[in-house]
Amino acid sequence: MSDTVALNKKRHNAGGWLGRNWALLFLLLEVVAFTGMGTHFYSLENIQNIFVACTTILLLGVGQTFVIITGGIDLSVGFVMGFSTVICAKFMVLLLSAGLPEPAVIFFGILICLAIGLIPGFVNGTLVARLKVPPFLATFGTYGIAYGFAEIICNNTPITGLPAGAGTIGNEYFFYIVPGKLFSFLARPQNLTRLELRSMITIIPIIVVIGFVAVGIFGFVLRRTRFGRHTYAIGGSVDAATRAGINIPRHLTAVYMISSFFAALAGVMFVLRYVSGTADAGSSLTMDAVVAVVIGGASLYGGRGTVKGTLIGALIIAVLETGMVNLGIPTFNRYIAIGGILILAVLIDQFFPDLVGKG
Amino acid sequence: MKAQPVVRRGNPGKGFLTYLGERWSGFFLILLLVVFSLIGRNFFAVRNFSNILYFATIYLLLAAGETFVIITGGIDLSVGFVMGLVMVVSAIIMRDMFAAGQPVALCMVVGSIVGLALGVIPGLINGILVARFRVPPFIATLGMYGVANGITLNLCQGFPIYFLPPQVERLGNSFVAYFLPGRGVTFFQKPPNIAPEDIRNIVGIVPLTVLITAIIVAIFAFVLVRTKFGRHTFAIGGSMDAALRAGINVPRHLVKIYILSSLFAAAAGVIYVFRAGIGHFTTISSSYELFAIAGVVIGGASMMGGKGSIWGAVIGVLILNVLENGLNIAGLQAFYRYIAVGVILIAAVVIDQLTPERRTRSV
Repeated sequence: MSDTVALNKKRHNAGGWLGRNWALLFLLLEVVAFTGMGTHFYSLENIQNIFVACTTILLLGVGQTFVIITGGIDLSVGFVMGFSTVICAKFMVLLLSAGLPEPAVIFFGILICLAIGLIPGFVNGTLVARLKVPPFLATFGTYGIAYGFAEIICNNTPITGLPAGAGTIGNEYFFYIVPGKLFSFLARPQNLTRLELRSMITIIPIIVVIGFVAVGIFGFVLRRTRFGRHTYAIGGSVDAATRAGINIPRHLTAVYMISSFFAALAGVMFVLRYVSGTADAGSSLTMDAVVAVVIGGASLYGGRGTVKGTLIGALIIAVLETGMVNLGIPTFNRYIAIGGILILAVLIDQFFPDLVGKG
Repeated sequence: MKAQPVVRRGNPGKGFLTYLGERWSGFFLILLLVVFSLIGRNFFAVRNFSNILYFATIYLLLAAGETFVIITGGIDLSVGFVMGLVMVVSAIIMRDMFAAGQPVALCMVVGSIVGLALGVIPGLINGILVARFRVPPFIATLGMYGVANGITLNLCQGFPIYFLPPQVERLGNSFVAYFLPGRGVTFFQKPPNIAPEDIRNIVGIVPLTVLITAIIVAIFAFVLVRTKFGRHTFAIGGSMDAALRAGINVPRHLVKIYILSSLFAAAAGVIYVFRAGIGHFTTISSSYELFAIAGVVIGGASMMGGKGSIWGAVIGVLILNVLENGLNIAGLQAFYRYIAVGVILIAAVVIDQLTPERRTRSV
């Protein structure tokens, strides 16, 4: 009798682990499958490509994680990102024509963009927290407003003519190794022959590092600080959070501003990488970000979600995308796959409520 | 918050502000019409009004379906891409049958019917996921949004479907009646033997697509307000528990609602094919679903469920379309439309919150 109980308990634990970590297992399965089928999946270059592809989704996703934990949703992130690329590019062009030195242009361009990027979040937060507008509608409103302003500022054509230095940050790597010849840190080696260039190994793209540092900081904030605990508290029960003395309007405004800050940061990354700004830079990414967060175990009803889960969700999407490109599968299929995974994620959540637990 | 009374009609004791607050969208539509008529040249013309309606048909259909879903407290994000799927599939069928030498009428009928029938499938899946498996509607329909988009793009490889029978576009752009000064009105056909110099003077009255849309929308406005189906829809949105206790088969009703929404999207797709004469796929940034939802909400529906009306949604959609048309005629860039939609949408909800009845209810 007691044996069976112990056995059941053990099985339950194993199942519980599976339920909690199915996303991670799915990611591993995906990697194994693509390794079996694909060519060069395990090459250093491909793995870095995956991380580059995942960085933007991850940035938008982390901001979205905060919002979703409070029980809200931020539909504006994709177009706030596009708006930010336009603002960033426009200011860099303006400052450049004003005769500032190139590093100052880049620095102030980024700074202004990040500052302006907080505005949509402030508007969203104020509408949701103080005027009680449902988050879906408030952020859809700012989505339209941000997109409209972005298109008007850039006149429906991508902004170009940015300082060339902007592109070097976005496309540089931490290490450059030419086997048997040289090893260079941060600076792209000059005067190489074509053969040497081809054999050069580049390691760790800088934007991935910047992205992951930002994500790491906010992962810590969510997990270890009072701000993070309050975020979960609001998502768990607004009433309880109010009674616990949390200033909910202020906290929610801060949360929406974090989301919008991450969208602006993703916009800056886009500008640094592609040296241009365009209004629809992030149009398809809002949904990708929401999907990453939900696959990562967050609940749209609030109170649940982690940055680590969102990271896994973003990696699942990025691996899928890169793997499909490698295999030559038409990229259209990514939409089907992501939609399928999303529904699967929630179904697992529904069928094994005890297993998934509240983490 | 959730357990609200089902529907409340305005009672006579309320003040002027409440009256205005509840009907502000209608007044706002009239205001827009007046303002644009004063500032925009050629805005106030039969041709322009029928133009506005002509472009509004798709949003009207999407919004009518979305109204049912939103009243139950759900949301259907997939409508834009379901519409895209239907457009591509029925265009492919019409093209291939036409190429195989089938009669044009048969091509059109089969293409339309298959398109509409196809519309049942995404709705059925959405409904089963929402009602039986309790997947949040946002997620279930977001999944379908991806799946429908992917299948569509696979079918059309990212290009619109061309080479449909030319009669498709001709039928889709015909009018219910034509008026030629001096020769009177003819129905469904241009007057025979027109002199070349008269062609420009023909005035088309009510595009055929608008008439069909109006009939469909009117039927379902009746269904929503006057039938048991409609009352059950409001009951589920008002309180799921109460609806269950009242003996409504809630899962089955919800499946029907999502199929209905998907069918409306399919109807919009078929009409779009006839209007454009080609099979467009839906691009992500076209955001049909969001404009439809905006129309429904501006028309007074609540995302919490239990509140909303088809006529409200019609007014909401017309506001968005009059705005687009009016801004265009006033010579402003098309992108101001997005800003205006955002501002009006937010204003709609804030006004809804500030009307006295609402305030007492939500606390």
